[in-house]
Amino acid sequence: MYYWRTDLRLDSLERRFLSQYHISKVYCRYFDVVMTDDGPMPNATITFTDTLPAGVEMVPTVYITEDCMHQRHDSLAAQLVRRILQMNETNDIRSVRELQIDCDYTARSRQRYYDFLKEVKSQLATLHPSCAPSVTSVLRPSAPFTLSTTIRLHQLSMTPPPVDYGVLMVYNTGDPRRFTERNPVLDMRDVAPYLRYLADYSLPMGAAYPVFLWQRTIAGVSVEHPVSADEILRVKQTLEQRRPELSRLILTYHLDKENILRYQPDTYEAIYHH
Amino acid sequence: MKRFIIISLLWAVSLPLLACAWPATHNYYLFSPCANDEFNERMNKLTSDNWQAYIGSTAEYYYFDADEVIAAARKKNDALMVSYVEQLQRYLACADEKRNERWEYPTKAQLAKRTQTLKSVRAYAQGKLRTRLRSQHALLYMRCNMMLGLHQKNVDFYQQTASKFIESVYRDMMENIYAGALLKTGRSIEAADIFARQGDWQSLMTQFYKRRSYDAIRQEYLRDPDSAVLPFLLKDFVNNAQEAVDGDDVMPGKLFVRNIQQKEAMQMCQLATQVVQQRKSQHLAMWQSAKAWLQFLFGKRQQAARDILEAVGMSGTERMQDNVRVLMLYITAAESPASQRLDDFLATELAWLDTKVGTDDRFYRNALDRLVHQVLAQKYERQPLRAVSILRAADSQYYDTYVDTMQVGRLQQYIDYLSAPATTALDGYLKPRQKADMQALNDLVGTKYMRLCQWQQAQQWLAKVPLTYYNNKGYAVYAANRRYTIEPWVTRQWLKEGMEYSDRKWQLKSNPKLVFAAEMQKMEGELSILSGQARQQRCYDLAVRYAQASFTGDCWFLMRDGKSWGDSVRVNEVCLADKALALLATASLSADAALKERALFAMSYGGLYQQKWYNERWDAKTYDAFREPNPASRNYKAFAALADFERTTSKTVSLYVSRCDEYRQFLKHYHHF
Repeated sequence: MYYWRTDLRLDSLERRFLSQYHISKVYCRYFDVVMTDDGPMPNATITFTDTLPAGVEMVPTVYITEDCMHQRHDSLAAQLVRRILQMNETNDIRSVRELQIDCDYTARSRQRYYDFLKEVKSQLATLHPSCAPSVTSVLRPSAPFTLSTTIRLHQLSMTPPPVDYGVLMVYNTGDPRRFTERNPVLDMRDVAPYLRYLADYSLPMGAAYPVFLWQRTIAGVSVEHPVSADEILRVKQTLEQRRPELSRLILTYHLDKENILRYQPDTYEAIYHH
Repeated sequence: MKRFIIISLLWAVSLPLLACAWPATHNYYLFSPCANDEFNERMNKLTSDNWQAYIGSTAEYYYFDADEVIAAARKKNDALMVSYVEQLQRYLACADEKRNERWEYPTKAQLAKRTQTLKSVRAYAQGKLRTRLRSQHALLYMRCNMMLGLHQKNVDFYQQTASKFIESVYRDMMENIYAGALLKTGRSIEAADIFARQGDWQSLMTQFYKRRSYDAIRQEYLRDPDSAVLPFLLKDFVNNAQEAVDGDDVMPGKLFVRNIQQKEAMQMCQLATQVVQQRKSQHLAMWQSAKAWLQFLFGKRQQAARDILEAVGMSGTERMQDNVRVLMLYITAAESPASQRLDDFLATELAWLDTKVGTDDRFYRNALDRLVHQVLAQKYERQPLRAVSILRAADSQYYDTYVDTMQVGRLQQYIDYLSAPATTALDGYLKPRQKADMQALNDLVGTKYMRLCQWQQAQQWLAKVPLTYYNNKGYAVYAANRRYTIEPWVTRQWLKEGMEYSDRKWQLKSNPKLVFAAEMQKMEGELSILSGQARQQRCYDLAVRYAQASFTGDCWFLMRDGKSWGDSVRVNEVCLADKALALLATASLSADAALKERALFAMSYGGLYQQKWYNERWDAKTYDAFREPNPASRNYKAFAALADFERTTSKTVSLYVSRCDEYRQFLKHYHHF
């Protein structure tokens, strides 16, 4: 499950949800990386007021805006890995063995993003107790560090990225400007054109489905885009028919009390059903 | 560059207006029961003023500089201030460090050091609570607590100690921190009351972000009919509803949103009715005016007019009463037919609004803007004199465009109106606010006659305008460097690089418009006595002048103040290109092959046509644009006539024709070749 707030603080309902649906990993957004005049910079860093329940693995996740990948930034991979490790160290977050990067890369930025991922992977591989004593407590040096990335539907037509696995983002599939015609969060008609790429995409993959309500303001007026449970399950079923492997790793976006209460337990049972 | 910018801006403003009379919505919010006096800005200003006064700075804009203050304090032997600012510096460094955490995430040791620093500053501040700078130190103490997460301590401290301090900007800031601490410790209602009272809109909106609905407002009213939060929530709700209505034509899909809003808005009207009936609130004027404005927005305008009248005299703050008056002005103006009675009402109410417009509060200026552009401009559409004087009185951005496109006779009436004594109350209000620029108006009347090719009348008005007026116009660089006698189809008069963007002041030798008008009058007057070859040559020469003065010509400044690629013939203006074409058609009948060729070539000049000899198409396969000939177009026919002439004449094709790239491209497509 994704955790996308700026303060890690779980209430009893959220804790019960993680336990009830046997959620073993939380992909927690640590910070964003945004382009500034001084180059790529971290933004909206999470505060760790709370900890995850015992037995739930933390997967640090970083969202990088696409424009950061319009040109090469030599030290970005090293800075990013070092910052994540320092955040783990400072906040006593242990047993971290995976990192996920989220980026809406395009044909323009793809190659630089893939090069960046290779550098991140290489940074993770060089971690050794002797050269990074401060991180030995938060890593398991004996186990290889896993790197994953998000895959958006339009990215399925490209060569897969150099990571251990991808998470297919099955949300924000539509054009936000055409919100009166289709739900921009999820609509089977927007997913359909990409189904043909699924079976042959040569990267292990899981899938992430939306349980959030997109509330936005258009010309000062609040507009809501809720996704029906039927639509989520219809899309999930269709995707898994084309690629059964997707049922092995199922995520939802994102952990929040309001999202938990939005759907019936039956819906969550069906979403997480393997 | 300056000149270029001026011309560009002129067109940026006026171009959209040519296509549609009032394209901008001017949809400023009219429901404003509390002022937009943002807490943060107010505090920043007050603290900044305090520091500036302490160091004796006279800078126009002052920004706090700790070192500067310390130096000033040392000079004054103010040891307490020195130590306070030093400690404040330590606190601010911690705050900045937290705010600026970039790639270097703090280590445990750094965090521990930060905590230690904050605790040390906090201890220092606590020890100075009985000094003459007790308020400053108390604020520092609470700031440290806030960053250390000691919110309950701040609650206790403010209640037991700081709240008893004398009124000052420091106590206001402490109270704000106290409200934040209340929120963090679960006492959100008390927090909201303080945020609302202080005008801390940002904090309120953060707190109420997900509770900005009819239900939330109703609950808040039931909890406390005079809750300080209610004006903010109601303001947000009503203005939100206004957006739904105002934006209906702009945003696709707004109808869907509006239907939701309309239902909720009508619920809010019912609630307002109940509130007024129950009389538990001190702010009945606010509720009644909210109801009236919502009714108005959602089409129940007559009901709105009755409701807003009832709001007059109801209880409320001064601001709420003013808001009632603004809404009454707007709704009454919109709902009443144009009449003497309405004019008298407007005269009184606009004069009142003017007394408010000059204040720092933008609400009143925005209200005037909306009233003028959304109501009065349409109301007086059939009374151009009234419309133009209202636009002028309100300093409307559309005044220039309005006078530029109005009929010349009407503009002359406006000039007469300016010098006549006021006979009605509304005129009495409008006349002193006209700020007429007679040179510009005389030039404009003369130019309007030029646009109608009425050269004699044009000269009468243009003769009143001094040369300095034209020297100061943005187009003086073009007027000084271009000639209307040059054939535009043979030579384009591009200015030397940099000339258009230089700051050079151009001194014209004569009034360019006056000279042109006089010459045109003379040349056209002589046309009737000319015949044969001389007449055809005169037609050609006149065509050159018309083509140059048209909006696509190099001497466009003769007819207008600016130029744009998207321009067209405007209202109350003769199409000069058509005049040129008609004259060229006569010239092309000449038996003189050279003149005939010149006239035919001129008639094929693209600058004389809206529709070119081809249509631009896009080839999806080659990803490139291509030209598709359009034989039905006048431009195509003109090129064909030229091509046919060149094919059949015994005369050698002139170089200016054979070298013309446009002609060559045409020939490639022309089926005869």
